[in-house]
Amino acid sequence: MSTLTVGERSIALDKDGYLVELGDWSEEVASALAAHEDLELTAEHWEVLTLLRDFYQEFELSPATRPLIKYTALKLGAEKGNSLHLNRLFKGTPAKLAAKLAGLPKPTNCI
Amino acid sequence: MSTLHVICHSPFGDNRLSSCLRLLGSADGLLLCGDAVYALQPGSEPLRTLQASQLDGRLFALDEDLQARAITISDLGKAIDYPAFVELSLHYDKVNSWL
Amino acid sequence: MAKSLLIISRQAPWAGPSAREALDIALAGGAFDLPLGMLFLDDGVFQLAPGQQPAQLQQKNLAANLQALPMFGIEELFAAGSSLQERGLAADTLSLPVQVLDDAALAALIDRFDQVVTL
Repeated sequence: MSTLTVGERSIALDKDGYLVELGDWSEEVASALAAHEDLELTAEHWEVLTLLRDFYQEFELSPATRPLIKYTALKLGAEKGNSLHLNRLFKGTPAKLAAKLAGLPKPTNCI
Repeated sequence: MSTLHVICHSPFGDNRLSSCLRLLGSADGLLLCGDAVYALQPGSEPLRTLQASQLDGRLFALDEDLQARAITISDLGKAIDYPAFVELSLHYDKVNSWL
Repeated sequence: MAKSLLIISRQAPWAGPSAREALDIALAGGAFDLPLGMLFLDDGVFQLAPGQQPAQLQQKNLAANLQALPMFGIEELFAAGSSLQERGLAADTLSLPVQVLDDAALAALIDRFDQVVTL
């Protein structure tokens, strides 16, 4: 367990750096989490994070890499729904890192 | 491809056996172990169902489970020990355990 | 070529761990690209009932999670017609796009897969 400080707020993280309370998420929180990972969020990142939050809304679980790619392809087209694009955006571990930044639980079934 | 279906739950108050018989292929086998051997209880409904299911040469029960429960399998099927169980699972293409 | 696996899920969704376990096997296998099929049999068809609202149960939402199966590459989804009929569930109201099979087709389905497990 650790905490992330965003402005006045102190936000609880689990041992892997994922939000303990999914309701704590905001865009500021996402940016702060990204800064922790030495990542600056661009429009391309945000569209994947939004997509992941939609995925969670729909299925109530965090996708492994394969379903993440499939869902991205479905919603944003094959140009973005591929491992190359997602790996580039999220340092080679899109399912884990993007779920973290989107405020989702750590995906199970993920190596 | 043939399947050996393995059931370990009593047929009384559980529908594994009836479901299994419903989807049993003509080359498939059925092995009863644990409380599933109660399906062979004389005078019972599950026994009548088994008798009507034309399982000649395809019905097996674990001997130690039969003995422990004072159940016999008669000529309806074959009582087998664990080594025979292993042989049986190799004889079929796959094993489906009804957990 | 990876061996194909048919998972037969035959327990109702909310009272015991079996339905969850069957789904977890399916999702884990799907994440690793294994050729999987899933058959809903007996009380397992209740997992597909429309309009389930388990929010107050303090469990993960199995009904919502099931919807992710196609995203995990598991599109071979089946339900036993006799199980649906016995329980008064209409095939066209189910929450997943399953193929409804009669008893003879169930035997053929099991035959087609390399491995099968029933939970």
